[in-house]
Amino acid sequence: MTIVDLTSMGEPQTDLKKELNARLTKLQDEISDFCFQCGKCTSGCEAHKLLELEPHKIVALLKRGLLNELVNSDIIWTCMSCMKCRERCPQRVAPVDILFGLKNMAVASGKEIPGKYTGMLQSILSMGLIQDIQQATTRTNKTVKRDELGLPPLSKPVDVTKFHAGIMKIAMDKV
Amino acid sequence: MTMKKKYAIFPGCLMPTEQYAYELSIREIIPLLGIEIVDLEGFSCCGEPMKSVNQFLTLYLSARNLAIAEKDNLDVFVPCAMCHLALSECQHVFENNPEMKKRINGLLAAENLTYTNKRQIVHTVDLLHDHIGLETIQQHVKKPLKGLKITAHYGCHLIRPSEIGRPVDSENPQKIEAILTAIGAEPTTCPQKLDCCGAPLLTNLPESALTKTGQKLQAIQEQGIHGMVDVCPWCHKMFDNRQTKAGETVAAKLAVPVLYLPQLIGLAFGLSPDALGLDLNLSPVEKLQQKEEA
Repeated sequence: MTIVDLTSMGEPQTDLKKELNARLTKLQDEISDFCFQCGKCTSGCEAHKLLELEPHKIVALLKRGLLNELVNSDIIWTCMSCMKCRERCPQRVAPVDILFGLKNMAVASGKEIPGKYTGMLQSILSMGLIQDIQQATTRTNKTVKRDELGLPPLSKPVDVTKFHAGIMKIAMDKV
Repeated sequence: MTMKKKYAIFPGCLMPTEQYAYELSIREIIPLLGIEIVDLEGFSCCGEPMKSVNQFLTLYLSARNLAIAEKDNLDVFVPCAMCHLALSECQHVFENNPEMKKRINGLLAAENLTYTNKRQIVHTVDLLHDHIGLETIQQHVKKPLKGLKITAHYGCHLIRPSEIGRPVDSENPQKIEAILTAIGAEPTTCPQKLDCCGAPLLTNLPESALTKTGQKLQAIQEQGIHGMVDVCPWCHKMFDNRQTKAGETVAAKLAVPVLYLPQLIGLAFGLSPDALGLDLNLSPVEKLQQKEEA
């Protein structure tokens, strides 16, 4: 297992895929059964007005077993994870968690990960955080970094090799 | 004399690498209010930004960070709403899923870490409101912010899901409003109070993310509110740092002063704007200072 495998989350991750599949099937069989399509989730959905995400439809499609279609669709990546759907669902279905499961499944299936997720993951693997110290711009157009502001040193993994090994185990040991 | 309560600060990624104003203002006001902030080595990302990619990775990273605090027997102060949710969710999973706890701890052993799930996790809002208390905050006010109409943005990750335990109410949070009253300001609510800042979409749909930001700021501006406070580096990055760009997405010239809550508290305490990092806010915060002086 190399960094490339982990960041692309490509084919070698059959175990993870199997586990995710089991979880989603469970959601499909048990959780989505509770959904009576009241649409409360969609009425509050932050991504609905802007990007036409309809959480109640996601649950309905999952219930009908259209797992592959969902995993391969772009709509699952429009969720803003505001969690209003989970909070307000009278049946405790939590569409937001179904969407996280579907996105994880898409990644484990080797589908291309949209946007900057790969870059963030690579940064976590190499130094522990999603980004290293950045220059901030002031109102007067000066640039400053944290040490110039008198802030203490950045807290990050001390032994990166050990840290890295820990993360790699997640991919290999099928957590 | 009681011992000063100590918390290990868990900075996360965004605050210590670019949102310096939040960290500066926290390190100014929290010790002043009798809380000792302890810096620990070795923290990593909380894992939440990776939740869409791999939820197990999120859980592992959260547990790893909590385990580091546990080593020093310290409770954890998490200023970022996103990190606060990740760590709280880890705590919730560990409590309800002993098998998962065992598996994650098995992996953590590689770094000689283990998490028994005994740390208290606080965010800026409950640290100020519940643990420090409004009375203590009030005692430190030197320049009450009279007549300032301020609206509070809590951030989705701080208020939901209530099922796993959040520091404020999910539908009608009031703790920031109470703090605003304590420092003499006038908390002002708006129908957009619970609207998302858009930041979670930055990773893959940055244009839509900014539209979300612009829509909320535009609504606030139209209601004649003087300014907004937030308590999450992600929300602040959108509302303050990217306000001009957000305005372009809704074809509006936005000029809403946006401050981190600890910055506004610091101003009421009479601290210097420099010490509070006000120079790093890119929204028109001078409008607020002018109002204050008038």
